[in-house]
Amino acid sequence: MVRGGSVDRSIRRAKIFALTKGFRGRSKNCYSLAIRAAHKALQHAYRGRKLKKRDFRSLWITRISNAAQEQKMPYSMFMHNMVRLEVQLNRKILSELAIYEPRSFQALADLARRRQSKGLLNALK
Amino acid sequence: MSSFHRASQSLRTHARMWYLIDAKDQKVGRLATFVVKLLQGKTKPIYHPAADVGDFVVIVNTQDVVFTGKKWNDKLYRHHTGYPGGLKEIKAKDLHAKDPREVLRKAIYGMLAKNNLRYTFMRRLYLYKDKKHPYKNNITQELTGPCKPAKKLQDYTPAEIENYPYKNLF
Repeated sequence: MVRGGSVDRSIRRAKIFALTKGFRGRSKNCYSLAIRAAHKALQHAYRGRKLKKRDFRSLWITRISNAAQEQKMPYSMFMHNMVRLEVQLNRKILSELAIYEPRSFQALADLARRRQSKGLLNALK
Repeated sequence: MSSFHRASQSLRTHARMWYLIDAKDQKVGRLATFVVKLLQGKTKPIYHPAADVGDFVVIVNTQDVVFTGKKWNDKLYRHHTGYPGGLKEIKAKDLHAKDPREVLRKAIYGMLAKNNLRYTFMRRLYLYKDKKHPYKNNITQELTGPCKPAKKLQDYTPAEIENYPYKNLF
């Protein structure tokens, strides 16, 4: 006896093909390849969402470091004094200041330098 | 806002600098790390690893670079031709005699990330064995290398040699 497939077969397939639209080769047309590619793509996307946060933070740190070096100051000294001064700008905003408002960043660096000179280590000298 | 307009706004931000560096008495590795940062644009707050924001670097007097220790005699540059028994090696001293720019070029090339941007960065690097170079009109800034020039024994006065700190240790 000939049996029909499951009722929602085409719907389930369409869901997968919607995910694999624009993939390379037969991964976009052939279901057995598409389902594998879709699962892998979702895994990559899951991992990518976590990595994005780390990658951006490291990029901001590099940019702040470069801008601090322009002000003749290491990154660690700049950030440490931002904490001591209770400047509650995060690394994203600080890196954007460094790009779009270099004078504001310079003012922050001057503040940091002044705070550094008031530190305990310099008092002992 | 159209991207065309944006680009014209940021022309000065993205303008490339031309740096001139004198390699006399500079240690090869230390100078190379210094130059790699400039080539990659790691001196700018707009740095992005995938974007090409590096500067041009002209290095003169590469014949006077310095290796510490016995590296001129001991350091080997190896490569394989692909044929059986094709491992070629050349001493740093001999390579330097062959082409006085090659030691520094290899050091910088090896320190850049191994991707397609490496060739772009290397194209912006100009090495000259002596002080002559054809880019005088392009240079925007002259930089001093990371190493202080070495002081030779002849440069010390007899009084300085007499009062050398270690003499009165025991």
